[in-house]
Amino acid sequence: MNEWNTATELPWLWAGMTSYALATFIVIRGVMHTRGGAAGAAVNRSYETPAFIFILAGVALLAMALAERWMRIGHGPFVNLFELLMSQLFSLGVIYSFAYWRYPAIRASAVVALPLMWILGVWVLMLEPRATPFPPTYFNNWLWAHVGLGKFFLGFCLVGTGLAGALLLRGVPRLQPWFRQLPSDAMVDHLAWRFMLLAFIFHSAMLIAGAVWAQDAWGRYWSWDALETSSFLTWLALGGAIHARLTYRLPMRAGAIFIIVVFIIAFLTYFGTPFYSSAAHKGVI
Amino acid sequence: MNAVLSPLASLRLTLVGMVLLAIGAALSYGNPMTTSVWVLVVPMAFLAVNLLAAIITNPRINRRGGLLTFHIALLGIVVLAALGRLTHLEAHVELVQDTAFSADELFDDSRGPWHAGDLDKLVFVQGPYTVDYAPGMVRGLTHSEVRVPDGQGGWERRVIGDDRPLVLDGYRFYTSFNKGFAPLLTWMPEQGEPQTGVVHMPAYPLFEFKQDNTWKPPGGPEIKFWLRLETGMTEKAAWVLDGQKAKGTLVVNSGAERVELQPGETVKLPGGQLRYERLSSWMGYKIFYDPTLQWLFVTAVFGVIGMSVHFWRKFGARLPAADTIKTGSYSATSKGVRYE
Repeated sequence: MNEWNTATELPWLWAGMTSYALATFIVIRGVMHTRGGAAGAAVNRSYETPAFIFILAGVALLAMALAERWMRIGHGPFVNLFELLMSQLFSLGVIYSFAYWRYPAIRASAVVALPLMWILGVWVLMLEPRATPFPPTYFNNWLWAHVGLGKFFLGFCLVGTGLAGALLLRGVPRLQPWFRQLPSDAMVDHLAWRFMLLAFIFHSAMLIAGAVWAQDAWGRYWSWDALETSSFLTWLALGGAIHARLTYRLPMRAGAIFIIVVFIIAFLTYFGTPFYSSAAHKGVI
Repeated sequence: MNAVLSPLASLRLTLVGMVLLAIGAALSYGNPMTTSVWVLVVPMAFLAVNLLAAIITNPRINRRGGLLTFHIALLGIVVLAALGRLTHLEAHVELVQDTAFSADELFDDSRGPWHAGDLDKLVFVQGPYTVDYAPGMVRGLTHSEVRVPDGQGGWERRVIGDDRPLVLDGYRFYTSFNKGFAPLLTWMPEQGEPQTGVVHMPAYPLFEFKQDNTWKPPGGPEIKFWLRLETGMTEKAAWVLDGQKAKGTLVVNSGAERVELQPGETVKLPGGQLRYERLSSWMGYKIFYDPTLQWLFVTAVFGVIGMSVHFWRKFGARLPAADTIKTGSYSATSKGVRYE
């Protein structure tokens, strides 16, 4: 049955995405507006508060969308791509808004981070909001731990990738004025890797919680199925990138490229593998 | 000794090992059963040696408690995972209601060369089960009742299913999608003692259309059985598969004769009589044993705690002060951000 007409969460979702879109627009306008300032002058920050308010509003509206859907279909956003994207948009918004509030110096990196979230936003708006049965193996508290820790991982990864992207874009002469508000390249690089290290910790914890859940759900803690292999490759890529930075003292822009590559692998792990793999880990069995 | 170990502890070797491991994981991507295990074992062994050497010789690791804990935990995980594979057991078994588990009935049995568990001594008896189905024949929760000795000469009833295994002496019994029915039959030969047993029918409702099997009683002809079930199964609504409430008509076919039996009825066949006692059910289990499971968990958690401690000590919760970064400076104050 077509669920476009019965999905009561859609107005909240669309409102939330509109709020994120406004935040993105304000941030881009804001950083473009700073280009006229002279070096050393205090730069324009007037856009930051409105952008923050719209990000927070987006988070609140998406929380309503998730709650509405939960009440409608009777289970949390764990099973199909539509609800997975929706919950990621919510959790990424929560974590990014925290970083945005806590570290004012990195706010210009929202120019990169918010459009990245929009990849998910456009995608979710194109999907039918159908309900999928909740598999019996999902009635397990470790699922919550696994999913929750994974959201922290991806959230910190997004913040780090936003900074890495800003660092790279700042190397383009025409775009350099956009990022005058950011600290020095060395500081941006340092902060980006700090967030990636945090992401590494949460990814490791996510793998542990996932292994405990898999042991309960399928009678094995690890079986190299497609999703497990993908998440292990993400962990390895992030660990390898951290080691490479320490070993070779990577140039900042090379390090930024490493971070973006890790984000791409993580993105494919989250939003690619589970939906073509036929392994039990996919969910419905 | 350090002269020997230092080259082995090289971070460059770590990167080589990581790349090799990534290649190995990529090769086994999606088809771990057909890819040689060595594509993973060799890089892991390589990395374990490198890691051990680094832990011993690298002061950047062994003088930092958090980082040291993390790296020892990584090494521990590799060692424990290897031990786990050497001592593990994975197998399947199908248990008929009211019968005791027997290690002789395992199939798809895979065990490590050092497996030393005492599977033969495990005692539990299969009880009835129910399985919830959502509309569209989507399987829901399984509730399988088993009885285990309570240690005082009696039996303790437990309900297991899906993510709640029965754990006995480290052996974990998981219910599976594989379950079905089994008519309980008694064969009474013209000469000799009667024998009672069950005929396993294929999994239900997966093979609902094919509930048949054959059996050749001692001294008798081969008999074909077909079971016509009434379980309340429907695709359009939610329903519960309950072996206790299911009814089954047993169609017996031995050559030219075809007879339908209800529970308690008997049919005379060449060589003896066959009585259909009652309809029973069977549940399929996956058995998993790995004595390192708890240690793996504890080790991995310590690793994450170690990394977290290292992160906290190194960075704290605040942004670094501007003067800690030599190649640039910034300041973020209530008066605004200045970029230089």
